[in-house]
Amino acid sequence: MAERRVRIESRVGLHARPAAMFVSAAAAFDGDVRVAKAGGESVSAKSILAVMSLGARNGDEIVVTAEGEGAEALLDRLAEIANTD
Amino acid sequence: MLSVLAPVAGATVGLEEVPDPVFAQGMVGPGTAIEPRHEAQEAVAPIAGKVVKLHHHAFVVQGENGRGVLVHLGIDTVKLDGAGFESLVAEGDEVEAGQPLIRWNPAEVVRAGLSPIVPVVALDAGGDVVSRTGTGEVERGGRLFQWT
Repeated sequence: MAERRVRIESRVGLHARPAAMFVSAAAAFDGDVRVAKAGGESVSAKSILAVMSLGARNGDEIVVTAEGEGAEALLDRLAEIANTD
Repeated sequence: MLSVLAPVAGATVGLEEVPDPVFAQGMVGPGTAIEPRHEAQEAVAPIAGKVVKLHHHAFVVQGENGRGVLVHLGIDTVKLDGAGFESLVAEGDEVEAGQPLIRWNPAEVVRAGLSPIVPVVALDAGGDVVSRTGTGEVERGGRLFQWT
């Protein structure tokens, strides 16, 4: 399983636009993708409701995990989205 | 079947009119958008349930069967840092459909150079589970679409 810790640079946090892009990228991946706030419970990164409800704000650290082929490339992409306004 | 109510009064225009491709292309989810009247007003809950996310300028209410509806007051309104927006409830509150949640003024959003359009989106829903939304005037609290 691949894991990445990412600090949220998006000003609004993992909210509407970044959340939608994050979830679209995760949903296109074959394997399991989960996201949690550091130290918190993880939720499916393929659910926009779950990702928005996570309440990851600007400056928060999140932990993203992915299982399957291309997991590292997916995590690169998710980290990039979390760091884009 | 869940009736989703109009959080604001105005003209229903469809998501494709939202000047943000993430909404316009349905990436956030299916639904519609309302061009609100340019006057001070209170945006209301589109469904009954729990306010699982509350920003100055947006909220998500999660209702029966875990269904969540996102209401976003204007586009890029995060840039206003809450100026002109007043929350009337707190995150985690249980609310009734039609209950006022945020006081705001679309005219102020326009003056700030932003679009006040209000996307109303069914989260984690397939495009086919939302009824045709049509276009035309809708009253606040009027039925906007059905989520089957």
